Amino acid sequence: MSKLKLLLLLALFSYAQFALAQNKTVTGKVTDLRDGSPLIGASIQVKGSKIGAISGSDGGFSLSVPDNTKALIISAIGFNPFEVTITGSPIQVALKVSETQNLDEVIVTGYGTQVKRDVTSVIARVKGSEVQNMPVADLSQTLQGRAAGVFVEAQNGKIGEGIKIRVRGASSLNGSNEPLYVVDGVPIVGGVYGSATSDINFNDVESFDILKDAAASAIYGSRAANGVVIITTKRGKAGKTKFTLNTQYGQQNPTNKREFLNAQEYIDYYLEAATNSGKYHYNRVGNTRGFANEAAAVTNIVNFVKGRFTRYSGYSDWTKLETNTNWQDQAFNEDAGTGLIELSAQGGNEKNKFYVSGSINKQDGILIANKFKRMSLRFNMDNQLNNWLKMGVNMSLGKTERQRVSDDNAFNTPMQLVALAPITPIRDLAGELYNTPTTTYYNGLLDVEYAQNHANGYRNQGLIFTESKIAKGLTLRNELGLDMVNQSDERFWGSKTDGGAGIGGFAWAQWFRNTRWTTNNFLNYATSFNDVHKLDVTAGMSFENRYDEYSYVEGQNFADETIQTLAGAGTISGGTTTQEKNNLLSYFARANYSYNSKYLLAITARIDADSRFGSNYKYGTFPSVSAGWIVSEENFMKSVNWLSFLKIRGSYGIVGNNTGIGFYSANAQYGSVKYGTSPGGLGISNFGNDDLRWEKVATTDIGLEFGLFKNRISAEFSWYNKKTTDMLLAVPTPSPSGTTSVLGNIGEMENKGIELSLNTINIAGKNLKWTTNINIARNKNRVLKLDGEQKEILSNDSRYANAVIIGQPLGVFYGVKYAGVDPTNGDPIYYNPDNKTTTNVYDDAGKFIIGDPNPDWIGGINNTVSYKGLELSVLFQGVFGNQVQDGGGGFMSASGDWFDNQTRDQLKRWQNPGDITDVPQARLNRWGDFDSPQMSTRYVYDASYVRLKNLTLAYNLPTSVANKLKISYARFYVSGVNLHTFTKYPGWDPEVNTDYRSGNVNQGSDFYAAPQIKSIVVGLTIGL
Amino acid sequence: MKKISIYILLVAITGAAGCDKKLDLKNPQTISVEDAFSTSDKVKNVLVANYASMGSGSLFGGDALWMSELMASDGELNWVGTYPEPRQIWSKSILLNNVYVRDIYSQAYRVIFNANNIIANAGIVVAVDKAKVIAEAKFQRAMAYFELIKYFGEKPFFAGSATTLKGVPLITTPGPTAPQDPSYNLPRASVDDVYKQIILDFTDAETNLPATNGFYANKPSASLALARVYLQQDKFAEARDAANRCITVATANGFSLESNYEDAFNNDVNSSEDLFAMQVTDQAGTNSCFTFFSTDTYGARDGDIEVTGVHYNKYSPTDSRSNLFFFEYGEWRCGKWRDVYKNVKVMRLAEAYLTRAECNNRMGTAVGATVDADLNRTRSRAGLAPAIVGATLAQIIAERELEHFSFYNLISSSCLSKNLYSVR
Repeated sequence: MSKLKLLLLLALFSYAQFALAQNKTVTGKVTDLRDGSPLIGASIQVKGSKIGAISGSDGGFSLSVPDNTKALIISAIGFNPFEVTITGSPIQVALKVSETQNLDEVIVTGYGTQVKRDVTSVIARVKGSEVQNMPVADLSQTLQGRAAGVFVEAQNGKIGEGIKIRVRGASSLNGSNEPLYVVDGVPIVGGVYGSATSDINFNDVESFDILKDAAASAIYGSRAANGVVIITTKRGKAGKTKFTLNTQYGQQNPTNKREFLNAQEYIDYYLEAATNSGKYHYNRVGNTRGFANEAAAVTNIVNFVKGRFTRYSGYSDWTKLETNTNWQDQAFNEDAGTGLIELSAQGGNEKNKFYVSGSINKQDGILIANKFKRMSLRFNMDNQLNNWLKMGVNMSLGKTERQRVSDDNAFNTPMQLVALAPITPIRDLAGELYNTPTTTYYNGLLDVEYAQNHANGYRNQGLIFTESKIAKGLTLRNELGLDMVNQSDERFWGSKTDGGAGIGGFAWAQWFRNTRWTTNNFLNYATSFNDVHKLDVTAGMSFENRYDEYSYVEGQNFADETIQTLAGAGTISGGTTTQEKNNLLSYFARANYSYNSKYLLAITARIDADSRFGSNYKYGTFPSVSAGWIVSEENFMKSVNWLSFLKIRGSYGIVGNNTGIGFYSANAQYGSVKYGTSPGGLGISNFGNDDLRWEKVATTDIGLEFGLFKNRISAEFSWYNKKTTDMLLAVPTPSPSGTTSVLGNIGEMENKGIELSLNTINIAGKNLKWTTNINIARNKNRVLKLDGEQKEILSNDSRYANAVIIGQPLGVFYGVKYAGVDPTNGDPIYYNPDNKTTTNVYDDAGKFIIGDPNPDWIGGINNTVSYKGLELSVLFQGVFGNQVQDGGGGFMSASGDWFDNQTRDQLKRWQNPGDITDVPQARLNRWGDFDSPQMSTRYVYDASYVRLKNLTLAYNLPTSVANKLKISYARFYVSGVNLHTFTKYPGWDPEVNTDYRSGNVNQGSDFYAAPQIKSIVVGLTIGL
Repeated sequence: MKKISIYILLVAITGAAGCDKKLDLKNPQTISVEDAFSTSDKVKNVLVANYASMGSGSLFGGDALWMSELMASDGELNWVGTYPEPRQIWSKSILLNNVYVRDIYSQAYRVIFNANNIIANAGIVVAVDKAKVIAEAKFQRAMAYFELIKYFGEKPFFAGSATTLKGVPLITTPGPTAPQDPSYNLPRASVDDVYKQIILDFTDAETNLPATNGFYANKPSASLALARVYLQQDKFAEARDAANRCITVATANGFSLESNYEDAFNNDVNSSEDLFAMQVTDQAGTNSCFTFFSTDTYGARDGDIEVTGVHYNKYSPTDSRSNLFFFEYGEWRCGKWRDVYKNVKVMRLAEAYLTRAECNNRMGTAVGATVDADLNRTRSRAGLAPAIVGATLAQIIAERELEHFSFYNLISSSCLSKNLYSVR
């Protein structure tokens, strides 16, 4: 392989000789009109020719031009181009910041950059400045609603926890469907909890470039199937050092609370349910318990319920309604606050430039005992050693402290407090928290007082690089990066908690370290010839080594429960350590060619050799090709004045997903096995598969980009078809082989969709400006093939209906259709398999496709209005056409099936013959006389929503006032996140996927999941 | 200067060439197949682990016992648990996707797979242990095949039909390393061929196993296994002789009936009458009989299998064996697997006495001991008097049922074996 690479390099060197005739020299300087600071990297071009130069670090340039040259075109990213006439004296040009959507914006493409105009692939860009200071914990949340086809969903409102991102749908069943994150050239990985992206202070981010189609992402080969998010951090600019002090303070609240029965309603409801159940047993079950008459059956169960009321009431008297506890309120932290303090500085001179920042961000979760704190430092430096060698360093250190809460299915998670009875006091008369049997279930507040759940994460990321100009147009870049994550997770449960009861308290500590070092070495050669051919070639190699270490120890019998580390454990009851390694060797190349600025062609290829691949497939090749035609450059279009830009583009490529394969899954292995008191045994732990390889995703993309009325309106449209083959599944094998299945590449899946983004400049006045960005996307996922024999993988869960069915979207709901309530007797009824008649026997009901957790459409609309110093930005984000199944419905919206407190909508229960309602008669399932409610469309809801995602109102102090205060600027702002939600979803929040079961298939499920966080902050940013 | 950068580039590229070697990484938690069979000690460790495979909950760690009991119980046991698969087994209407059926089948082949590898790689085992290692592996293999043929061989079995009936795929040497290799799509060997292999393996095991061997396979357990196989085939003389060899060797080497019946159960160290038991500790091993027979009082589920009065009433009030049953949630429960982390009995010495008694009775012989002497051994331990004189076959079979409760052991009694596994 490497020989091939050398040849390629030599070929590149030989191209490096192009020169043009030159006659006279023009010099000058380009500055920023706003503050007169030099503009580096501005393009200076001879009008009507391809001759040009780039301004240096002082903004200066010197250019040899033909004698007859009259004018130069000066342009820079983000600025309006300016035409200047050559007079003979040095040219001084001050450029004005561009108001239009800029086609000259430089997009980060992975191992390089490209001007937006020339891009033939699909890359969505979100600028760091757009999401600056958003009061959220995780940077992926800032992208929600901002980029077409990028679906972001937080599992619940726990702070800094799981977030699902899908770029153009899910492509894998057993692998990850999350995009690859690359920070300044180094891919990042997560730890054992939380998400990797929550370790990054996104106020340090200059831009997010989301590589969506295969042509854009193929340069990342076997990891690109779910798209790539390239995060570029801020760098210093030459000039006066600018200090920025940024502070923020705010409050966090749940987006929604649900309504539950109060004490009076609870008592009335359960007495009614008891009466109904007594009658039901006597009349409809056949009085199997042999009551003397109906009244005796009713009395028996009513007395049972009253006995429970007495038990649940603790010291208080339920008959006098002495207690009316709102347990839901207990789950939330009343005064959850958020605060940010951040200091950054950037500046430098021609040779040295730097950006430094330090930040502390503290956010209380909306749930009790749920906290998040991130401290981060960053130092980015560039040094121009001489005229051909530049070097730089990026360093970031971060510490993330979390106080976590249990998964949604645990009794000790705060949200499950809602199940407790409103007649139960929180504490007894001695001030001690009540537990079972007084509380219906374990009282999760005990965990708040007697348990600890601390998790600290440390992420150090560093990169050093050199950039050498080897010849004209030829640059070599060498990068060495290190990304290190350390996580420690210490938990303690006292003997009063359910986790520590009976064993004298329990604790565990786990410690995880992930180290990844990366080297990227690549050449870039850019040239143009014969005025019309432009070629930009990048080729190189990369090597990555990843090393994971994990250790775990647990203990019990704590002599003194104030000593909560394992040093206090009387018994060490378990422990383990593991290590894992992975190596990835890659070669990559890309060529961008443009003819006459009209016809564009790009070819990329990456070869990935991953140590995890099976021996028969060590090297994977991931090619792509894309082409574009800028129609507006054609002469026949020049007369169409209203059309300022039109590009048609198309791409095809193959990318991979390596995440479904464990580091050693391909190898047959023997591991340690325990048997009795034997000193040890060796048993086969993995059968291996020499053919195990990446999942393959082939994407076709056709798109259109256009600008109207001098790009006042610009839009981008894409249609894509993304097909996964070689999808990883357990492939059945005959038992005599020793095993029943091996992981193999056999399945197929597809995602088809469209994306549209539209940017308009509605008003571009001197003082008043108004812009709108709209993005919408539709994705349709379908499973095409499983292991070749199976047609479906059905859920076997009474709470959820997620299934994998050929021809249907991944995780589609397959289950029973609820037909409402039989008006004659109040029974819940379900549709029979004929889908017409109904039955009151759940097991006899037919099964149908009853919902889809994947949205049909997602979108966002962002309006920005500014008037003098005032700025208002309003982002609405929406998700449409998906359903959510509430797995907790069978407990809390169950017509009083058991003693869980019920949602108030259960008051609409059937009571008398003829009642038309969809809530069945209240019945307590004391004797197992009927089925307790299970998953059916009774608990499947439309979860479409539109959310006021972010609103920011800012005021910038006039420069004159700022100058008087001896500062360069000051900005005061109020910002809110998740301020209002429009939805028909009856649960806490339609943006949900309960954490304990979330996965590729298990989507769209709610189970006591915390609502999302609504934040309102005020902030002040001062520039010095 | 630029030369330097080109030099850097070349270093980077040659460095990359060296990276190729780094693509072959080993899991620090495991060793490769080649390594696993590279030394004598390692092969012996694979042998130890294969006992753990036998002791899987899907096989002798419980399922092989309770599955046959549920099928044979015929009104004496009720499955009342929520799991649908054991209910199908109990009601003998088993669906294709029953995972318990799949798992006992595949787990038996896992044991065979391991045994085949051990035998094929026994060449490296030190000479002094070699024959014993092979004998243990053959014992493991034959135990697995015997379960397979009983559960999955074609029925009805009658003497002489075995050559035409289909058994199970027979594999006795390691196959290709890739499990998906088409050569594993083996045809079913005849019932007869499978039995021939089982007898061959158990006979070799009996010859080469030591009389005592810790909790691993020993000579008397191989003899008793042979007795079971012969009994299954109605070869009563061979069964009798094998049982007699079992008793002779066992009793000469410290095995004996516990004086108290209850002491033979719920122990985590083999009792004096345990010839072979699957080891369960709080660290390793499974006992799925505990899971389903016991109750949450003892840390199990909520009592999925109930013993009906039909069975319980078979014990006379003075039979101390009835004391092992316990009453909870309104039903009788079998207490043989009452406690958590206790061994699963596979072969007890008591069975050998009763097999010898049955076969002596059928053959009209008194090899080793008289029928009455063998039968009264377990009866008198249970406190039953007076001693039976002139025992009938029916009395012996009834005693087997009471002594073993476990219907599993009834499969060695030919009267039940023929219709026991009518379910496929």
